[in-house]
Amino acid sequence: MNDMVFTAIVIAIKILVVLAVTLGLGAYLTWYERKFAGHLQARRGPTVVGPFGLLQPLADGLKLMTKAPIIPRGVDTKLYYMAIMMALVPAIMLFAVVPFGPSFKIMGHEIKPIVANLNIAILYVFAMGSMAAYGTLFAGWASNSKYAFIGSLRKAALIVSYEVVLGFAALSVILLAGSMNVFDIVDSQIKSGVWYIVYQPISFILFLFCLLAESGRVPFDIQEAEAELVTGYNVEYGGMKFGIFPLAEWYLNVLALCAIASVLYFGGWAGPHIFGPFSGFIWFLAKTFGLLFFVLWVHWTLPRYQAKDVVEFAWKYLLPISIINLVGTAFFIYFKG
Amino acid sequence: MIKLKKLRRNDSLGPLESVLFLDFIKGLTITMKNLLRKPITTQYPKEKITPPKRFRGKHGHFVYDGQEPPSLKAIEGFMSFEKGKSRCVACYMCQTACPMPTLFRIEAIQMPDGTKKVVRFDMNLLNCLFCGLCVDACPVECLTMSDIHEMAVYRRAQAVIHMDDMEKIGATNAAAVRNLPDRIWRDDKERETLWGKVKWNF
Repeated sequence: MNDMVFTAIVIAIKILVVLAVTLGLGAYLTWYERKFAGHLQARRGPTVVGPFGLLQPLADGLKLMTKAPIIPRGVDTKLYYMAIMMALVPAIMLFAVVPFGPSFKIMGHEIKPIVANLNIAILYVFAMGSMAAYGTLFAGWASNSKYAFIGSLRKAALIVSYEVVLGFAALSVILLAGSMNVFDIVDSQIKSGVWYIVYQPISFILFLFCLLAESGRVPFDIQEAEAELVTGYNVEYGGMKFGIFPLAEWYLNVLALCAIASVLYFGGWAGPHIFGPFSGFIWFLAKTFGLLFFVLWVHWTLPRYQAKDVVEFAWKYLLPISIINLVGTAFFIYFKG
Repeated sequence: MIKLKKLRRNDSLGPLESVLFLDFIKGLTITMKNLLRKPITTQYPKEKITPPKRFRGKHGHFVYDGQEPPSLKAIEGFMSFEKGKSRCVACYMCQTACPMPTLFRIEAIQMPDGTKKVVRFDMNLLNCLFCGLCVDACPVECLTMSDIHEMAVYRRAQAVIHMDDMEKIGATNAAAVRNLPDRIWRDDKERETLWGKVKWNF
């Protein structure tokens, strides 16, 4: 009984910490992105609100919350509101299977810094990635607007194409690790002493493409192509209702997928113990934010593909390459491993 | 002589380029260079760039101060000028040259001693397109354009400038750049800090 209460408390604390950290980070990533994008283009980014513009996310949040709630005519109201949650929840749920560091002991209990230590964590990531598409789809459908609808259709096409590639790309890592559990994947990388990016560079590049596509980042941001579709599926939303969508898709989704990528390819929290007891956590965050840096860097550099090119690219090039890579890995493991 | 750099552009990427994402990497290096560079932003209300010498801003009148051209010297006797006041002769040349002539309101009266005195010279800057034709047309080098470009006002009536405003501008802003060498940027040093070293062709 005592054990059960302890476990429940630990899980509640984990959920609270993860929620607070991810939502806070999500808000502050807007500041980070704006600052970073500014400096990439030899601008300054936000400077006025607070030192280095650090209070900008708070100002933005206040501004979004005090906007007049406008609902356009002809909107499917239930779906219109549901779409917001459908977009936000899967993005947060992704963090349930993100291991933030190695397991440690408190009061004789072993605690793993992960909300849900699933055996099928990677499969869960794919599932939640696909679920996020429903938020976009419903938002586009419920808005009763051509721009929103075209944007959501594009997103659907994108998710259908890239989810397949994402699965095949990650599957070759799962083959190497022999497990879908994130802890097992990291442990097998620590045991062999080699990060899987060394064995699977092609798979990593494919994963990176899918990461960009799933989270609607350039060069695959066809669903919110500002030049053609105003801002795509969320054009009819206003105030904080609008703010949720970029938060969920651009920040939380990207952050979670970067964390998963660092688990799959960069050995999670593996690294020399130079920061004392927190070294695992710091290494994990460093790798995740390194990937995030790269994603933002790509976003603010490259132009956008055409919608047809994006889907064609996935089916004609990425999918065959990923299948060949997977079969090659399977043969390698069968004969050598 | 300007050297042209000719670039050849293929319709499709070569095999090496498309496999190694060379074009992606090229773009990424450019943005990385920008990231390590100092921002070139001018933080506008805090810092302002000095406009070029030939900038065509708010209009001004050069005043009667002894620097007149010979054309004015010839008819000086027929005008009732005051020191430090506008040297306009109300010839209506500016209005004639203007693409939007109705923006001028120029009036002159005859003084008791027979000389001519300009009493009114208004310009409605809302209609002005700052082409500078009036300045070129002025035969006595009176009308000029200054570097004042922050001209937002709250009422339409405030956008109409009068002769005393223009005299003030002519005596200060326009007079400051009057005798500078005819270069694009008045202050190269200030410009270099913002935009880097400039190579002049002349």
